[in-house]
Amino acid sequence: MVVAEIKPFVEIKEMLKNFKKVLIVGCGTCMAVCLSGGKKQVELLATALRAAKRTEDDDEILIGERTVGRQCEPRFVEQLKDEASQYEAILSMGCGAGVQEIVERLRPMLVLPAMNTKFIGASDSEGVFAEMCAACGDCILSLTGGICPLARCPKGLLNGPCGGTKNGRCEVSSDIPCAWVMIYERMKELGKLDDLKKAVKAKDWSKTQRPGVYKAHGEEQAK
Amino acid sequence: MSISAMPPCQAACPIHTDVRGYVSAIARGDIQSAIKIIRQVNPFPSVCGRICTRVCESACRRGQVDEPVAIGALKRFAADEARSAEKKVRFSGPYYNEKIAVVGSGPSGLTAAHDLALLGYKVTVFEAQHELGGMLSRGIPEYRLPKSVVKDDIDYILSMGIEAKTGAVLGRDFSVDDLLKDYQAVFLALGSERSLYPKCKGVELPGIITAVEFLKQISQGQRPYLGENIVVIGGGHTAIDAARTCIRLGSKNVTIVYRRTMKEMPAGKEEVEQAESEGVKFEFLTAPIEFLGRGRVEGVRCVKMQLDEIKGSKRGSLVRIEGSEFDIKADAVILAIGYEPRTDAIRDIELISGKSGKIVVKDESGLTNIKGVFAGGDVVSGPMSVVQAIAWGKRAADSIHRYLRNLPPKEIEEPVVVRPLDERIVTLVVKAVRQKMPALSVEERIRSFEEVNLGFAREQAVREAQRCLNCGSGAVVSEDCVACFNCVLVCPYGVPVAGEERAKIDISQCQACGICAAECPASAIDVKLESREESRRKLKEALDNAMREAPEKFAIEFYCQYHEAGRSREEKAGTYGVGKPCMARIDVYQLLKPFESGSTGVQINKCEHHDCRFMGCEDWILKHVERAKKILRDIGIDDEKLKIVREECE
Repeated sequence: MVVAEIKPFVEIKEMLKNFKKVLIVGCGTCMAVCLSGGKKQVELLATALRAAKRTEDDDEILIGERTVGRQCEPRFVEQLKDEASQYEAILSMGCGAGVQEIVERLRPMLVLPAMNTKFIGASDSEGVFAEMCAACGDCILSLTGGICPLARCPKGLLNGPCGGTKNGRCEVSSDIPCAWVMIYERMKELGKLDDLKKAVKAKDWSKTQRPGVYKAHGEEQAK
Repeated sequence: MSISAMPPCQAACPIHTDVRGYVSAIARGDIQSAIKIIRQVNPFPSVCGRICTRVCESACRRGQVDEPVAIGALKRFAADEARSAEKKVRFSGPYYNEKIAVVGSGPSGLTAAHDLALLGYKVTVFEAQHELGGMLSRGIPEYRLPKSVVKDDIDYILSMGIEAKTGAVLGRDFSVDDLLKDYQAVFLALGSERSLYPKCKGVELPGIITAVEFLKQISQGQRPYLGENIVVIGGGHTAIDAARTCIRLGSKNVTIVYRRTMKEMPAGKEEVEQAESEGVKFEFLTAPIEFLGRGRVEGVRCVKMQLDEIKGSKRGSLVRIEGSEFDIKADAVILAIGYEPRTDAIRDIELISGKSGKIVVKDESGLTNIKGVFAGGDVVSGPMSVVQAIAWGKRAADSIHRYLRNLPPKEIEEPVVVRPLDERIVTLVVKAVRQKMPALSVEERIRSFEEVNLGFAREQAVREAQRCLNCGSGAVVSEDCVACFNCVLVCPYGVPVAGEERAKIDISQCQACGICAAECPASAIDVKLESREESRRKLKEALDNAMREAPEKFAIEFYCQYHEAGRSREEKAGTYGVGKPCMARIDVYQLLKPFESGSTGVQINKCEHHDCRFMGCEDWILKHVERAKKILRDIGIDDEKLKIVREECE
């Protein structure tokens, strides 16, 4: 899933300072799962914004609350159309893709991001999510025992650890386990340590040329 | 598992009383709601609160953890509390034209009359005796069931506009055919009180009396002294009642002779213990073979019995032990070995009778072979418990209504019942001691017919009710589940599991702490024990009141409704309270919401216990408060305005 965190409250408040009617839109897929922008977070942010407005002795602010199944899905976003037209701006609690999908579908509505999109990751423990994939477009997990050094090593090293690894932890932060130690242990477990002697070729970054487009039916659609 | 599984107590009860409903109302201190819930199905709350056989308690899952909830005692508490305050129902007259005759005014007959009156029929009850109530009024001594209590329940029933004719004997004063001329339906609830006699030599000797006759004399105010040495034959409630009555009348040696063991006794363990403490002796595995005496009974020759286990049989077979004969001295003998219906009066009509005088009915609907004539209660089943008689009355009322209105027969759906607690969960439930009902001392008891059990005080009742595990009112996952499985991670009991598409929470194992609901990012989990809607409504009400009465300066106070239920909450000006079933149920939203309305502060009153009702609730309260405080700081509100205040708790 895509993992995102909510922006600092002051930043959100600043973005919204000139608006009297704002619709907060949550996302019921990745953003709900990573506990950042689901229905409950929408309700909480709305309450916090109303309470903040009150302390400023400002005019009333009208905040709407709505959560859609998936903001990156045009057919979900289009369902927002009527409701959205009653507001001056939308504050999206979706990932970057969600924000842009709303922009695209609900023109000329102003759409603002409430989230900072972080990475593609997975649930680690209660309320903790870890980055797992760098979306490089050229997967090498078959060579590294299913552990991605690109996403999980701060330096993205492809051929073994750097000199900064210590007791299985990274020199960048002792909170980070060294990806290459994990890869080594995993290959040992698989009885494939010898495979690590083969060099991994330098990354072909042309495969992640932006903007990325993916055609599920290949040439058929290209024609 | 269905999401609407029935608690085992309710499933076990013959009339499916919403036990969880009224027990949890008492736990909140809401006694008025409790009695309303009981009255929905039971017109004899005061009676059942005292003498019900309480199959609900045997089914109670709290019994897996320590001891079952004292459900019977709680029913009595609710009924007693309400008796002083309860107003009689104002009856607006019958709705239908049909008239119904009920013959017999025991629990079965009066329940049918009550339900039929509620359905809108004009009901007349015919009672052979001069007092209503059947065995309730003349079969159970006052130390166990005071007459005033029976009268209160009956008065309430009669207040529905039911006519009662006492001293009207079926077969002497009127016949079933007579009734069918004036009434469109007849319910025969004749009971079963003809005593059986043991087939022993000397049973005709003077000084041998049936328990029914003896207890009837007592109920009429007579106080016959039967002598110093009394032998009671039998093992049911009536045997114990007769024995304990003799003690009260001054007999020194009272012995109950029962052919099986204490385990098989129809009387409850509690009753046996009370009888023993009052001085009643028990001879188990003993049967009478001859009553001795010249011109009057002087003793009972007994023989010891042996219980041979038979495969597939619960009770086993009884065999005499040869040569074990012995004599017990007796100035009088009371027989309480069994009863059968007295139906001689209707034997000549075409009503099908079964063996031992029972009336044969088609099924539980009580339909007899005569059109418009229904029968139920002990006259059909033989002697059973009060609540079973009530159940017969209810079914009969329903059948009669369907018969008169041409409605299809009732479809009986087997309820899905909450399963027993898993062993793992049993070890995680916080233990709580069952409250003991205060009772008269043995010395006080044996001197009078005063009621032995004194009933719970309010504080005791509330505390006892709080032991209820609220079976089946836990978390339910809706279609909004986004399968984040956060519930799996946060549940202190490890109940939620990841399903193929969404989280699954076994309603039989969920303890209804509500932590998963507070932590669900999609608001997809709701807890039946205070739903989200109810919880939001309570907060909104408090805020609305505050903004109306003290818009300039008010504070919100969350308090534990269990902690507060036993006492009255202190009212503080400008402070508005919101009760919660568990303080971990206050999510971050509820902590912030009052500030949106301009609250000057939010306070959580929390006892000192770490795990009061639920495991780990304290940790979650602290987490929620910390998260809310962070948001308050972000907003620019002093986070000291949100605080936890510790309260003393016993």
